Amino acid sequence: MHAPNPGFLLAVDIGGTFTDLTVFDLETGHLKAVKCLTSYDNFVRAIDECMVALGLSIAHAASFKHGTTLVINALLQRKGAHTVLLTTRGFRDVLEIARGNRALPYQMHYRKADPLVSRERRYELTERMSAQGESLSAPDLAELKALASQWQQQGVESIAISFLNAYANPAHEDSVVQALQTLMPQAFITAGSQLSREWYEYERSATASANAFVGPEVGRYVNRLSQGLDERKFVGERYFMGSGSGVISFEVASQEPVRLVESGPVGGVVGAAAYAKALGLSNMVAFDIGGTTAKCALVKAGQFDIKTSYWVGGYEHGFPIRSSIIDIIEVGAGGGSMARLDVEGRLRVGPESAGSFPGPVAFGRGGTEPTVTDANIVLGRLDPQARMGEDIQLSVDAARSAIWQRLGQPLGYNSEQEVPQIAQGLLTLVSVTMSDAIRKITIERGEDPRDFVLFAYGGGGPLHSVELARELSIPKVIVPMNAGVFSALGMLFAEVESDESRTFLAPLNAANLAQAKTLAEGMLSAIQSRMSASRAQEQWEVLRHAELRYKGQHHTLRIPWHLETRSEELQSLFEASYRQRYGHLTVGASIEFVSVSTIVRHAVQRPDLQAMAGQATAAAHAAPAHQTRDVFLARSRSWQKVPVFQRADLPIGFAHAGPALIEEYGATCLMDEGDAFHIGPLAEIQIDVRLPRNDSPTGVTP
Amino acid sequence: MTQGAAIDPITLEVIRNKLSAIPEQIEANITRTAFSPLIYEYKDFAVGLVDIECRLISQGKGGIPLFVANILGAAVEDGIRFYGKEGFAHGDVVICNYSGVLGQHLNNVVMYTPVFAHQNDAVPVAFLAIAAHWSDVGGREVGSSATNDTVSIFQEGIQFRTVKLHNAGQPVQDIYRMIEFNTRFPVVVLGDVASQLGGCLLGRDLYQGLLQQYGADTVQQAIHRLWQQSERLARQVIEGIPDGTYTAYAELDDDGVQVGQVVPIPVTVRVLGNQLEVDFSDIAPVLKGPFNSGALGGGITAARIAMSYLLPHGDAPNEGTFRCLSVVLPEGKFLSAPATAPMARYSTPLATVIDVVLRAVGQARPDLVAGGHHGAFGVHVFSGKKANGELFKNLETGQGGFGASQRGDGSGPFKTYAHGDTFNVPVELQEALYPVRFESLALRTDSGGAGQFRGGLGVSKRVQVLLDCHLNVSMDRTRCPPWGVNAGHDGASGQVILNPGTEREERLKKADRSLRKGDLVQVDSGGGGGYGEPHKRAPALIAQDLVKGYVSETAAAEIYGYPDASASSRH
Repeated sequence: MHAPNPGFLLAVDIGGTFTDLTVFDLETGHLKAVKCLTSYDNFVRAIDECMVALGLSIAHAASFKHGTTLVINALLQRKGAHTVLLTTRGFRDVLEIARGNRALPYQMHYRKADPLVSRERRYELTERMSAQGESLSAPDLAELKALASQWQQQGVESIAISFLNAYANPAHEDSVVQALQTLMPQAFITAGSQLSREWYEYERSATASANAFVGPEVGRYVNRLSQGLDERKFVGERYFMGSGSGVISFEVASQEPVRLVESGPVGGVVGAAAYAKALGLSNMVAFDIGGTTAKCALVKAGQFDIKTSYWVGGYEHGFPIRSSIIDIIEVGAGGGSMARLDVEGRLRVGPESAGSFPGPVAFGRGGTEPTVTDANIVLGRLDPQARMGEDIQLSVDAARSAIWQRLGQPLGYNSEQEVPQIAQGLLTLVSVTMSDAIRKITIERGEDPRDFVLFAYGGGGPLHSVELARELSIPKVIVPMNAGVFSALGMLFAEVESDESRTFLAPLNAANLAQAKTLAEGMLSAIQSRMSASRAQEQWEVLRHAELRYKGQHHTLRIPWHLETRSEELQSLFEASYRQRYGHLTVGASIEFVSVSTIVRHAVQRPDLQAMAGQATAAAHAAPAHQTRDVFLARSRSWQKVPVFQRADLPIGFAHAGPALIEEYGATCLMDEGDAFHIGPLAEIQIDVRLPRNDSPTGVTP
Repeated sequence: MTQGAAIDPITLEVIRNKLSAIPEQIEANITRTAFSPLIYEYKDFAVGLVDIECRLISQGKGGIPLFVANILGAAVEDGIRFYGKEGFAHGDVVICNYSGVLGQHLNNVVMYTPVFAHQNDAVPVAFLAIAAHWSDVGGREVGSSATNDTVSIFQEGIQFRTVKLHNAGQPVQDIYRMIEFNTRFPVVVLGDVASQLGGCLLGRDLYQGLLQQYGADTVQQAIHRLWQQSERLARQVIEGIPDGTYTAYAELDDDGVQVGQVVPIPVTVRVLGNQLEVDFSDIAPVLKGPFNSGALGGGITAARIAMSYLLPHGDAPNEGTFRCLSVVLPEGKFLSAPATAPMARYSTPLATVIDVVLRAVGQARPDLVAGGHHGAFGVHVFSGKKANGELFKNLETGQGGFGASQRGDGSGPFKTYAHGDTFNVPVELQEALYPVRFESLALRTDSGGAGQFRGGLGVSKRVQVLLDCHLNVSMDRTRCPPWGVNAGHDGASGQVILNPGTEREERLKKADRSLRKGDLVQVDSGGGGGYGEPHKRAPALIAQDLVKGYVSETAAAEIYGYPDASASSRH
């Protein structure tokens, strides 16, 4: 008898322009990837299209993982439910008063975004909890009843509840949630303390409001998706990609949609971590260049840092949410970033992006401002003969003349012959922005970028990363297979994850550590009750973290611990981490807990990178043929004939010196003179970067 | 290339980006490692690079504007005065808070370290300098500057006039001991010193890296070009203001000592071509109370901040920005006080000074400015001992309405023009750390000045103290509320009420009180001034204000004539 076909793992990343889909065949070890245009009216159709293109049926998938920009887009575009916010009496304006800061200090007309729930939709309830978590006055249920009937008449769809000090004791919020579930069974109801058990009332209220605002829409989306999967006879496990590195169930996603705010980009970081583990790399910067932004994250020993603050719409004008999110730094620099002269005639690149429409000038769809992609095309770094999508024939001439007219002439260059220099300058400038992001994620966290491997993916990552590495004196760049659809690929590696955290303000000592352990046990059982009963407990990985700081400080360091950790050990772990990050210790200051958190991960079936690599290089040639193309190279600032390889042709172990281009579906990798590459054991491109001598990107002398 | 310059426009932009990235990285590190909320939340610090001629190369935007060009340079200049340009070694770290140099309260301490372009250079090419507010430097009151009635700088703390904290990399333990035993909060202050020091050293290394990468000459050349660009941009803005002499007036309630005696602040702004002159000749003389500042830390700083608000871009200022600005400020005024004058509350008047300079400019270019903002720091400090005997100080300042302008309603509630990316202290944090309990925190209905465009609203907060403790408040702008513009109405002034609605109700402005357990303190911040005549306000906007409760029905009827007069109120 045949063993039943184990089927395949499936991941779909639905972005604004493209739906990326990857499948990993559990039997053959084969990976397939495809891109389709996102269908806004019916997103399931794009999934169908992708599946048809691959010749597969969802019915045979063992698991389905889904990353989506739905939540972040709904929040940015303010398209959400009719939402009310219920607060402690006296505090309905907390959401609008916010924090009093002007993020752009010298701008007289600075404004921040309006609150997500406007004042007439914010209500107060008589109740009060103390900072120590004692109930000072219980929620007035008669008042609540009156409010509920008022809301019902107004057609309120969604209710956010955020009470003062609920982080210390959520009992009042819990009882109001319960009462409202009976009073308004149709409404989406969410409480701040369900989403974050950390102090700071404004941030928690903003989080609850955001969750309520998108809740009904996400609920409908999840239902449509579930239905679509059912109709297609899919019976496997179904997940959403959460922002905190793990996947979450459809159920959790519909209750806590703010957990999906970075659902898209996180997949790539998870994939990077899988490569880091498989290749035994302890220090890696995961680096993703897309159309509008570049993003980077640190992967150390296969793990990433988690932060709990995120700004929807950016720090300067946006609002915060509190949720566990991989520590990603994002800058407004990508393929679509536009180059312009500002009022002073200074050249600026980004953050404005031409997006996919009108897109770069060379696309001939009405774009007039030269973009990073235009510069890449003019310089031959991207194939000028390539056809983009259906019918787009690239126009190098249009890109060239836009760069000359919009930038070269006004900057005072002498002749159109200098266009390559200008285009190269544009790229240099955008790489300053990108390398600044990498500097931030390393230097600000006490790391030296030279100790890291740059792991590049996304449509633009492989094209720009070698120069970035040179600029930062990073000696090695790695480009994985399928770099152009890597976020969807990375999702295949994500584990099931659930987490809890509690504010716990107490000095670090043995007695309080014991109390922290009690809290940790409580969090674990809270997670247990939430996680699917079918999961065998012995397969769980439990991670515990303590947020510690010197007493008096605001910012904390996140230190891993376990139930056997002693107080002195925790202290020395904190001190080591502090010294690493900030270069000094504060002698004599005492250390305190601020919060403790528990993460439970449950492994799911994951792709086998080795098998994937074997399959991907099955058709490779020992002596792959190549074409050549004229490319303007950055190091010599001159045109050279550069060999162009097709990635699928390159076998494991193949080595070649730069300059070289390697093209694959959705991404192009560029190496300059002096660089060298070989194809590594996982079919990844490993690039040894030619570093300038005596260069010190940080200036930090060891 | 233009002008045959050796540096191309792209390298110039690259260096510009890197020059602003360095202070920003340091700012991020400081907010993470500082011990005092005055630094990590209030952002009472600034990071910058100063060249050997004490000119400002670049300064971060994350810190408080009160340290804008060029407190950092002034401290360095004092160092060169004592040590000479060749008197610095790699690893030297110098501190200075001398009132005769900085002209601000003694909590503000500038720390700097030299940057050498090459290893054996005798003269540094630049300094990485960081100004920061230390929580307590001794003096009469907890926190040193929480006073309304000191009459001499010597009541306000210890002075470090240019002393080396580190000597060629070695800590000078004598100075550390001086610091430790002249503060009430040694752990916090030494923690902040460590953070400031870490920032200085990292910033120095980053700048050295930049010099190595591009060569000191190229960087130098770029810096001069950047100054020229900033100067040109500022002059363009000034050129857009019609030539003429413009005056405006504001006043403070009093100086805390001579209670009830107003402090007049008339200013004259003269525009001639691309040159702007701010004349403070007629302002009040040195005050008896602690609301004075020195010329650099006071009058010149306020004029520079005001000018920064006129510039269209959000770039942080540098040496070139203020070349078109001259400040007329005779000695002996309260914004040009001598070193011995009390300065604990030096910053309090500056928000109003900035406001009034902008008011004068508004006469020429109403489109550039807005109505008056709440303008009062509204400092309120609860201090005393917690139940466990630990000393505490819970300081907060007001967050209020900003003025309306031609562009629309006023914004806020924010801290003042003298603040920047400054955060308030969350209620939950205050209740967890200090013996206080909030009754409410709410927008003040009708506090925004009426107008075609309404001023932003102030905030009302009511706090009960749970233990006997001390209250220090400093409210102002009650006689000179945030003004309306172009027939817009004034915003409401701020106010402080002790035990409101009881027999023991008392209204406070600048005051100290002993509070008993259970006492309630209400602190209201002002609203912003309105723009244009109220009857020109679109009925739809008034209707929205009513729905949101920004404006009461009474005010809508009495001031806006709403709904009856709505038919005639279109413009």
